[in-house]
Amino acid sequence: MALASPPIASVRQTHGEATTTLQATGITKRFPGVLANDRVDFDLRQSEIHGLLGENGAGKTTLMNILYGLYQPDEGTIFLGGQPTQITSPHDAIAQGIGMVHQHFMLVPPLTVTENIILGQESLQPATRVLGRLSALDRRGAAARIRELSHQYGLDVDPDAYIKDLPVGAQQRVEIVKALYRRAEILILDEPTAVLTPQEADELFVIMQSLVRQGKSIIFITHKLREMFAVTDRISVMRGGKMVGTTTPKQATSEMLAEMMVGRKVILQIDKAPAHPGAVILRVDNLQAQDDRHAMTVHDASFEVREGEILGIAGVQGNGQRELVEALTGLRHVVAGKVELLSQDITHATPRAITELGVGHVPEDRHKHGLVLTFPVRDNLVLCTYYESPFARGLVINAAAIENEAQKLVKEFDIRTPSTDTLAGSLSGGNQQKVIVARELDRPVKLLIANQPTRGLDVGSIEFIHRRIVEARDRRTAVLLVSAELDEIMTLSDRIAVMYKGRILDTLAASDATREQLGLLMAGVKGGAHV
Amino acid sequence: MSSLVEERAPQTAGRAARLAMLDALGMPLLAILLAFVGGALIIWATSGDFGTVLAAYEGMISGAFIKTRGFSETLVATTPYIFLGLGLAIGFKAGLFNIGAEGQFYIGAISAVWAGIVFTGLPAILHLPIVMLAGALGGALWAGIPGFLKARTGAHEVITTMMMNYIAFRLTEFLVSVPLRDTLSSAVQTLRVSPNAELWSLWQIPQRLSDRLNALAVAIFFAALALALARWFVARGDMATRLTLSRRRVVVGGTGLAVGALAFFGLPALTQVWWPFSDQYDRLHIGIVIALAAAAAVWWLMYKTTLGFEMRTVGANPSAARYAGINISRNILITMALSGALAGIAGTIEVLGVSICRCLPLFFSSGYGFDSIALALLAKNNPIGIVGGAFLFGAMRNGADLMELNSGVSKYVISLIQGLVLLFVAAPSMVRYLLRMRAARKIEEEAPLTRGWG
Repeated sequence: MALASPPIASVRQTHGEATTTLQATGITKRFPGVLANDRVDFDLRQSEIHGLLGENGAGKTTLMNILYGLYQPDEGTIFLGGQPTQITSPHDAIAQGIGMVHQHFMLVPPLTVTENIILGQESLQPATRVLGRLSALDRRGAAARIRELSHQYGLDVDPDAYIKDLPVGAQQRVEIVKALYRRAEILILDEPTAVLTPQEADELFVIMQSLVRQGKSIIFITHKLREMFAVTDRISVMRGGKMVGTTTPKQATSEMLAEMMVGRKVILQIDKAPAHPGAVILRVDNLQAQDDRHAMTVHDASFEVREGEILGIAGVQGNGQRELVEALTGLRHVVAGKVELLSQDITHATPRAITELGVGHVPEDRHKHGLVLTFPVRDNLVLCTYYESPFARGLVINAAAIENEAQKLVKEFDIRTPSTDTLAGSLSGGNQQKVIVARELDRPVKLLIANQPTRGLDVGSIEFIHRRIVEARDRRTAVLLVSAELDEIMTLSDRIAVMYKGRILDTLAASDATREQLGLLMAGVKGGAHV
Repeated sequence: MSSLVEERAPQTAGRAARLAMLDALGMPLLAILLAFVGGALIIWATSGDFGTVLAAYEGMISGAFIKTRGFSETLVATTPYIFLGLGLAIGFKAGLFNIGAEGQFYIGAISAVWAGIVFTGLPAILHLPIVMLAGALGGALWAGIPGFLKARTGAHEVITTMMMNYIAFRLTEFLVSVPLRDTLSSAVQTLRVSPNAELWSLWQIPQRLSDRLNALAVAIFFAALALALARWFVARGDMATRLTLSRRRVVVGGTGLAVGALAFFGLPALTQVWWPFSDQYDRLHIGIVIALAAAAAVWWLMYKTTLGFEMRTVGANPSAARYAGINISRNILITMALSGALAGIAGTIEVLGVSICRCLPLFFSSGYGFDSIALALLAKNNPIGIVGGAFLFGAMRNGADLMELNSGVSKYVISLIQGLVLLFVAAPSMVRYLLRMRAARKIEEEAPLTRGWG
């Protein structure tokens, strides 16, 4: 069983005063056609938080998957407590004291916290042990240990609560307790703040610090520079499968880290002239919409977007943003309320009618809605206009016109693709998103609805797409920006509306809004009281 | 693993294209080869004699290609496979798993027979299109019902088309044995269709063409073909820039007219002087030509029209199709109707061109519709692949009898081999495993055949 104490000896290494608990040297991992990790060196010291930074595709997930036993390295060695070791599977990783909290939680919603934590490592009531696999579970003993652990590390977790009733932040704590329950000494946290409000993220940082104070070591993966400075002891940056370097928050600056990540100078702040809002383009009155399970997730949302301004909708994921955007674009039935575009009622209009009225839509899920991955780039660039002149005359498609358009957009939007014939699915995420943005902005749109337009993208693509959105605004387009990334909202928006549990809690001018203020609103606190 | 996808650099275009080519062509061929190897193993295992295997395959090849009328009978069997395969491929491409082709085939056949009986005295140039249209409409209607149910209520087409098959069989039986029955015949069968509604056998052509109206019909067919080809030719990059639009129109129109005139005046005379088909027992008929034209038309529809674009989009990603403003319900209806229409034409051609009595007998055993599911999968829904696959299936079906006669191996081994083909096509990773091939990583443009039942 994996309950034996992990074999981590304290071996003092040559560099510095701290003990190195985990070390990987010369890790190389090849996938057909790709060198995912190229002679990567990485080390984790006892009781430190080591931040790992890198764009998508930089190789950090591959490295973590190797440390967690999901992949075997082609070359290189892993040392645990100074001893070379092999990690053959996640099970083996846990046995050796390495725990991982994935970005997408691995929890079973209808089970309790205790049941989830002991899943796969069930402790049995001694008296019934003779029954083999039919013996009774020792829930009470497990729950006691969970309470003890959560008390020890300041993790607020109720062992008897059902996962489905817990907010995201609490579910994450359950994942951490799960790793601790399995006696993990090293914790890998993969993008843990992606689903949290700023305040919840701060709470997580407190927990992380409490963990390292009591001897645990943490690898913290994120792409948010701010968090690197907030919580880490050291920062390592990966790019293109290589380890670019390791530094400390004291020595580093945001600009420097961004440059290490991208390989060139990056402008972190978008130059943005003040907005000159004009006439109202989109007016939403008391909108109500349901999610797929018919729960009302948009309640009485009311707001308006004017030409030449960017209205940002901030909020933690899952507060009705998706349903709101789908209701506005005709993809979801509007239960009640009214949507007006240029004084025209589009509440129950079809997606095509709304598109033809001049609405561009960058959807939240580019793989589900935004692209047909099995179609060439060319066809994806005319996905919404394939039937219009000059791309088609009557029933017949004009392949030459589509090709011309595709060539033009590929150049104009810097879409890195071998050809317009390449399947959209084989492009990188950033280039896929550029295909969508190019398609939606190339039309004379009066309103651009962009939902999570830069999620999962590299810094270079984010910068590019942000610039395009601001340019669209400067061309007098009204922009509705929905994003769970507060930084993105604050960088781009002229006004910020905060969505909480389906309601627009408040709308602020971007110039007055502070991170703390928005964070409180995102958590449902308005005027000192919880809504 | 998600990171596999995430951390992959785009492949170079050339390499990707080569791999795609190999997969598109190579995998089906390998699947066929493996299926025949599997068939051989089974024959060997059941007979205990390797000689039987050789005798069986030798008999199959001889029956399909070498014996008298072997090759032409293979083409006769190929014809309905082409239509049915095309029909199913359209459905699969658009994400609809129409397994009711057999029923649509029957309804098409009975509709065509009805139109062949009730109209009398029409010239072939009118009557033949009318019966074809009747067959197509019958099939379209029959497939349209599941299409409507799916669009309206979400009822899964696999269930509804399967059930519609049984209704079709029983309905056809009733129509054959009661309202359309030839009461003078001792066999239970329908009345004979009007001679002008028959599909011409190839040996009849010289005689048929001596009728001016028939010659006109043939001329129109060839003129249309020439028009389409000329249009494609002048629209190619080089020609398109060299010629002005009006000049191109003149070229296209002129070609069509010239070919039409040549066919109208030349073909009747030519066939009087020289015509290779004279065997009156040869059942090969003009359906094969129409089938090839249909394959070209379906390819054009799927890849060169907005309708085809919509159908492929709905099949590849229905969520993106909805986002793009495509009316999915309408698309489901059109797709099912087209799919059924092609199956209906297959039935029409079978009854008007092949059936000896030029009527529909009560025991009109087909099985074409079910085989075609495997065929469409084998061809990966590609119209050109369908033609090749239909030829293979036609040859196997035709060679089965002589195989049984020569080797004593049951002709149902053919279905077994077809089943193995289907198995290997549906599970390319299994083929790769069997042949120790490295997986060519790529994203296929393929309608998912395993979508939820919702």
